[in-house]
Amino acid sequence: MNTKALRRRRRPGRFLPYLLLAPALVLLVGMVYPFALGLYYSLTDYWLQFPKRFRFIGLDNYIGLLNRPLFSRALEFTVGYTLVAVIIQVGLGLAVALFLHANIPGRRVMRAMMLMPLMIPPVIAALMWKVMMDSTGAGVLNYALSFVGAAPVNWLGSPDAAMASVLIIDTWGNLPFISLIILGGLQSLPIEPYEAARVDGAGPAAMLRYITLPLLRPFIILAATFRVMDSLRIFDVIYATTAGGPDDATTNLSIMSYQYAFQWYQMGTGVAEAIVLLAMVVASSYVLLRLWHRTAESAAQ
Amino acid sequence: MSTLPMLQRRYAAQREPQRATAGWSLAHRPYARNTAIALTAIVLIVWTAFPFVWILLTSLKNSADVISAPPKFVFQPIADNYAALFLGNHYGQQASARPDFPLFFLNSVIISTGAVVLSVVVSIPAAYALARFSFPFKNSLGFIFMSFRFVPFLAFVIPLYLLYQRVGLYNTYIGLILAYQLITLPFTIWMLRSFFMEVPLEIQEAAQIDGCSWLGILTRVILPLSMPGLAVTVILGFMFCWNAFNYPLMLAGRQTFPVTVGAIQFISYEQVLWGQMAAATIVSALPQLLLSLMVQKYIVRGLTMGAVR
Repeated sequence: MNTKALRRRRRPGRFLPYLLLAPALVLLVGMVYPFALGLYYSLTDYWLQFPKRFRFIGLDNYIGLLNRPLFSRALEFTVGYTLVAVIIQVGLGLAVALFLHANIPGRRVMRAMMLMPLMIPPVIAALMWKVMMDSTGAGVLNYALSFVGAAPVNWLGSPDAAMASVLIIDTWGNLPFISLIILGGLQSLPIEPYEAARVDGAGPAAMLRYITLPLLRPFIILAATFRVMDSLRIFDVIYATTAGGPDDATTNLSIMSYQYAFQWYQMGTGVAEAIVLLAMVVASSYVLLRLWHRTAESAAQ
Repeated sequence: MSTLPMLQRRYAAQREPQRATAGWSLAHRPYARNTAIALTAIVLIVWTAFPFVWILLTSLKNSADVISAPPKFVFQPIADNYAALFLGNHYGQQASARPDFPLFFLNSVIISTGAVVLSVVVSIPAAYALARFSFPFKNSLGFIFMSFRFVPFLAFVIPLYLLYQRVGLYNTYIGLILAYQLITLPFTIWMLRSFFMEVPLEIQEAAQIDGCSWLGILTRVILPLSMPGLAVTVILGFMFCWNAFNYPLMLAGRQTFPVTVGAIQFISYEQVLWGQMAAATIVSALPQLLLSLMVQKYIVRGLTMGAVR
């Protein structure tokens, strides 16, 4: 309505919005161009050490990936890590949000404190934990374990513990994000359903199960969406702590793509891998955003 | 992405003065539950704060204390690590592993500032168009801008690396500022759009009746009224740039490394200089922590690109 009025009055021209968007579009083209270039490279055998040998090879890079045992391991890690991380982080995030929403003393301070891990660069968070996870005897985590009588853990150095260690670091940095989104949802809940439930004699557990959780669904799904996309792509924490090791135990698609492109200079294979990852991100974000839209709209009605 | 704010406003409008506490209230709580709550609070505080405490302690230890087993909580604190970091080689007991750390800090400031300024300047008209005009392909354009937030960086960075090598943008500030647009531009466009949409239409209509042009509406109505939003966008955008690690790891060289890439260099030496690395970590994180205090209220909104407020 207002836009019509705007146009009628001043007649800025039908092209004005595009003119306003033009500078951003120029930058957008600057982003799309390398991406298109990458798409093309993924169909070639571009190897930086042999630039003369540049050939178009169709889908050979993608087919070749399927035959590499490391690729299926990396794919498995990517999917498995994402599932475990999102379930644990969203579950804990919900619990922390409910806790911080309760009427406890000092919750303001605690909320402000929760922001700190969120604000520092993830790679810095990874380095902080790397210091604590040291397994030579100077590590403070193993020192803490010794008080409860547990054996020291080779956190980042053993294939068994490495994924869990990465998960701990990632959770430390991102739990506040989930908690704060859900907390924002909690603070905006309507009060009427709770009053009605109180009249009907419902206890706190029933209220949580039948009122709070259903009303929070759009917020929970939104938090999960962001986390799924970020967990699928996780790179900096792994790079800074284990670099994919030990024994490729923490190699996901991002790390493997990085290794192909920047350690072995096989650019074609590296990009192909990034594009497989992109397809996974697009597919999961499409599903999750649809789900989110549906719950948000049904809640708004 | 504007459904959630709508939802929140609707809920807020329905809300009574008293808060919905989701079935929790501490009044008349028995002793055992108070203890459980106190324990949970302690666990949460230790979990969140201890890594900061420990890295601070580590940064104040000398080279022997750092590697002592079991780890020391009480020791003679020294500032040598910080001195080595900023004053370089010939100070204190240890030489700096990365004598160019001050340069990395400066690089971070230059690249982040450049990237945010470019993004914001370009985003103001774009966000205005997305917030206040209707035109064909508007939604898909907006969505395309946002989708860059979710693209795996390697799909961009590998071709960018090859391109930059060829045209001479590799290891330059300009090249990095352009690459950082992938981080900041989707964010600034969507944030500014969400702030611009909050300016009441009535004010804009009043200005139109008084003969204001589209440019006047932007510069005299919308921008002045969304100044706080603009400030928040700039600060959060700056923080995201400061956090960036992946792009500079591949596109920057020794002269243009930002602090995030610089801090990790302390490991790639034969012996890890934990103390200096800890000091570098603290110095890299400090600007973020200070800035975050200024924009506390808007952080969730920023991280969800305006979807939750």
